[in-house]
Amino acid sequence: MVPLWLDVLDDTIRACAAQSRADLVHQLQQKRAQLLDPKLRVLVVGEAGQGKSQLINAMLNAPVCAVGDDSTTTVPSVIQHADAPCAALVTGPTAVPDRDAAATERVAVPIEQLASGVSGAGKFHRAEIGIPRELLTAGLVLIDTPGLDAGWATGGGLDAAWVGHTDAVLLVSDANRLLSDVELAFLAYAVRTCPQVIVALSKIDIATQWRRTAEQNRERLADAGIPATVIPVSATLRLRAARTNDRKLNAESGFPELVARLQHDLRTKSESLAPHTARTIAGTVVEQLCVPLRARRFALDGALVSGAASELSEAQRQLDDLRRLSTRWQNSLSDQISDLSSDIEHDLRDRTRRIMRRVDEVFDAADPGAVWETFRPWLEENLVEAAEANFGWLVDRSNWIAEKIAASFPGYRHSIIPESTFQIGHDLFDGVADLERPNIGRFTFTQKVYTGLRGSYGGVVMFGLATSLAGLPLINVVSLGAGALFGGKSLKDEGESRLLRRQGLAKAAVQRHVEDFFLSFSKDCKDVTRQVQRKLRDHFAALAEDLQESILESARTAKQVADRDLSERDRHDRELQRELEDLRRLHDRANALAVVPATTTKAVAA
Amino acid sequence: MSGTRLEDQVWGLLNESLTLYGDSPRASRWLQHHLQRFEEPLRIAITGPPQAGKSTLVNAIVGEGVAPVEVDGAADAFVWYQDGAQPRAALHSAHESVHDVPVSRLDRWLHLDPPPGTPEDLNEIVVDWPTRTLRHTILIDTPAVGASNTATPAGQSIMDRVAREADAVLYLARRAPGTELNALRLAPETPVSRFAPVNTILVLSRADEVGGGRVDALLAAKQIARRHRRDVRMRALCQNVIAVAGLMAEAGRTMREPQYAALAPLAAIERSQLDELLLSTDRFLGASDTVATLAVRQDLLNRLGIVGVRLATTLIRQGCGDLGALASQLMRRSGLAELRESIRQLFVERRGLLKARSALLALEFVLGAEPRPGSDRLAAELERTVAGAHEFRELRLMAALRSGRTRLPSALETEAQRLIGMEGTDVSTRLAADEQATGAQLWTLGTQALDRWLEHAENPLFSHAQQGAARTVVRSCEGMLAELAG
Repeated sequence: MVPLWLDVLDDTIRACAAQSRADLVHQLQQKRAQLLDPKLRVLVVGEAGQGKSQLINAMLNAPVCAVGDDSTTTVPSVIQHADAPCAALVTGPTAVPDRDAAATERVAVPIEQLASGVSGAGKFHRAEIGIPRELLTAGLVLIDTPGLDAGWATGGGLDAAWVGHTDAVLLVSDANRLLSDVELAFLAYAVRTCPQVIVALSKIDIATQWRRTAEQNRERLADAGIPATVIPVSATLRLRAARTNDRKLNAESGFPELVARLQHDLRTKSESLAPHTARTIAGTVVEQLCVPLRARRFALDGALVSGAASELSEAQRQLDDLRRLSTRWQNSLSDQISDLSSDIEHDLRDRTRRIMRRVDEVFDAADPGAVWETFRPWLEENLVEAAEANFGWLVDRSNWIAEKIAASFPGYRHSIIPESTFQIGHDLFDGVADLERPNIGRFTFTQKVYTGLRGSYGGVVMFGLATSLAGLPLINVVSLGAGALFGGKSLKDEGESRLLRRQGLAKAAVQRHVEDFFLSFSKDCKDVTRQVQRKLRDHFAALAEDLQESILESARTAKQVADRDLSERDRHDRELQRELEDLRRLHDRANALAVVPATTTKAVAA
Repeated sequence: MSGTRLEDQVWGLLNESLTLYGDSPRASRWLQHHLQRFEEPLRIAITGPPQAGKSTLVNAIVGEGVAPVEVDGAADAFVWYQDGAQPRAALHSAHESVHDVPVSRLDRWLHLDPPPGTPEDLNEIVVDWPTRTLRHTILIDTPAVGASNTATPAGQSIMDRVAREADAVLYLARRAPGTELNALRLAPETPVSRFAPVNTILVLSRADEVGGGRVDALLAAKQIARRHRRDVRMRALCQNVIAVAGLMAEAGRTMREPQYAALAPLAAIERSQLDELLLSTDRFLGASDTVATLAVRQDLLNRLGIVGVRLATTLIRQGCGDLGALASQLMRRSGLAELRESIRQLFVERRGLLKARSALLALEFVLGAEPRPGSDRLAAELERTVAGAHEFRELRLMAALRSGRTRLPSALETEAQRLIGMEGTDVSTRLAADEQATGAQLWTLGTQALDRWLEHAENPLFSHAQQGAARTVVRSCEGMLAELAG
């Protein structure tokens, strides 16, 4: 039957594959193979000079690892059981023994040479040592490493990948001091993939207060949440005990406890260590997988605001703007047009009045009969000029109004008022009767004679009678002279009064004509103005409709997109949620693997 | 030599800037403080990671049990030890100070009874202690750097304070290459500190624990120290690496009759039995009371460590018949003498230079922190002083030769190092003359050296850097001749 932990681990691997995390898959597969392996690989780590190699030597009671006063170990050594002592230096693509790694080169060396130090450390990645020891036969593998901090001195510290390839970590720390921050940081890192951690306090033979140190270290580990067992040991005492075969001293050295612990771990690897490790590593990996998923879900929430929704609200806003605009431009148009028509009428009135004043001036002085023929074209010309100026003004104003209204429309295109609006459609003077020549009677010769005679009659009689008193005949020189004088006078008076009358007639005629012209032309202007108003209204109404239609269209599109986005997002969100849920279940299952109450791990928070 | 010239220049600069910053109370307080400090004894800070043996080394140097100082609320305080007419202490917090606190010796360390109302957050404790060894130096015992269990989380701030307060530093570490040196590697760097390089001696403390506490542990430790001294990477960090067994040094200087009386009968026990007894601390403490009571054994262990007890009994067995002989043997083996010699050579003899360096750093800080019209000129003056001072040039050449940035043919390199005062700054040491050499002999040696190095400075086969090095040596020779003539 497949053990439960293996099931969980396989599911975790599948989850990693589903999230395209090939790196994790590779790592987990190696871990899986390693957990199934009956051997127990113990990584012996620590800062340089803590006595790691000496601890291994003492544990095995054999000088397999080089021991010196200053950073001696330069390459990791893998020590396992062999029927006869043998050793080899290994180069390969990776420092860590990897099942897939090809092109690994092994150089067999005498075991004594290793014990006196590995030369050419830069070339070799690791040493492999086999010795016949009862302790190792059951499958215990010890890995001696360079110091955690040796990278600075030797150019190659401990490769972090080793941690992934071990079942248990044995940290060696000098009992003369407390655990350093570097050591604690390393342990915190290691427990994430390899929860079985033992801290060996070395050199308790020369440490004065190692019991207190051990106690303080336990507290620090507990504070840091690292589930490690602290075992104080002394390699010196162990080696001496082995030499003198002193059981009591051996017990004092603390090694029996350490060895027993390792052997217990080895024996119960499949029931206790493997599930425990699987649980931790599954927890760690699931957490790693959750992080990007959570980040993506978080990112989804923000995405909608920036996409189709903003377009939709923009369209809505434009529509509101347009609605406000349409009442405004209609009012504005009618106001402008009524202003225009009154202005135009006033202008025309003003112009005709000015013409009339000129006419009056002319006819106050000139005899219409004499000037009429020159006067008529002049009047026509002036009227046409006035009409043209007036009409031109109308066109300008209309254009100005059109532009002003158009400016309030967003995206207005120029020259939208058709030119034909301003054609009056008939000749300017069609509706006006021709200026007729006023009936001015000519002062004929007969009339002049008659008038002269009538005037001279009174003078002759008057002066004839007066002079007759003086004895003169009625017709005499005096009376004849007076008659001529009177006749001349009445002739002149008559001529003047006739002129006045002619002038009055001419003025009245011209006035009538101008009035007619005014009436007819202002009617035309009003027509044009109304036409302009109608055309502008139609035009802008159509424009507004177009605009509204296009805005509505874009709003519809935006809404569709938003709806699609929303459903897409929901789908994505549900997917992520489902994945997270799966991972959470996996996490729960991993947590449920806690079968060994003796080695409890602090549960990794989901 | 032109040493006085540099000091005069620095003194002048400080006074000038004091005039410039007369209206800024903060700056002028700071500058006045440094003017005062210029005249004070050399300040040597003893710092390092937790449990590296800082207080033990203070005791070993002072020769009496004065460290650590036991006072409440002072986990973070720098403890200053200076010479004084009578034992007393002053406590300083950021805002207030308490003076004339009585000091009492409690076993191996000092106990202070701060009067009620003393602030909790003390940051400085100044202990006056009548002793000859503190006549020319002030020792500063600092809190541990880079320890997460002390009140200041960042070790860096302690190193900052050390760089500000101390003229020279003894940095303690158990082992040379390792994380314990991080704080030293990350020490703050400014233009002045680059021009006038390291003022640090790295002390490999607890040398007695090397190799699991073998009897020859101290020899092994000294060899390690020698190897690191030659290491280029170490040279960038410190001027010297010295292994010291702090406990033994302290024991050698502070051991009294009762301890000797306790050790003597131990040494008299038969060899194999004694080995058995001293196998581990547990065995030593757990033994029967036949030769010494538990309290006595505990005291011995606290004072000497198990390795120290082993060494002491071996020494007694080998013929150190009395307290004096044993103490001097312990001292000799502990490496303390070497450390003191190094302190004398590198720190005390270069007191003026180190003081000038501290003052220039302080001035640089003020000019950087409060720029104002006129400070540009002072900054330029400061730069000229730093770049032009021959002492700094010698120091730079020393650093360059040590780190291997500049190389000379080996015989020349040795001579150059001697002439620029790497082995000692007095004229006869520089010229490798006898102690009794007359002025005329020294003059001859000096002129000969000058002539030789003038030639080297013109040697067309030398690179630019090598010629520069030779010119610096020439300048040193001229300085010596000037001193002899004057």
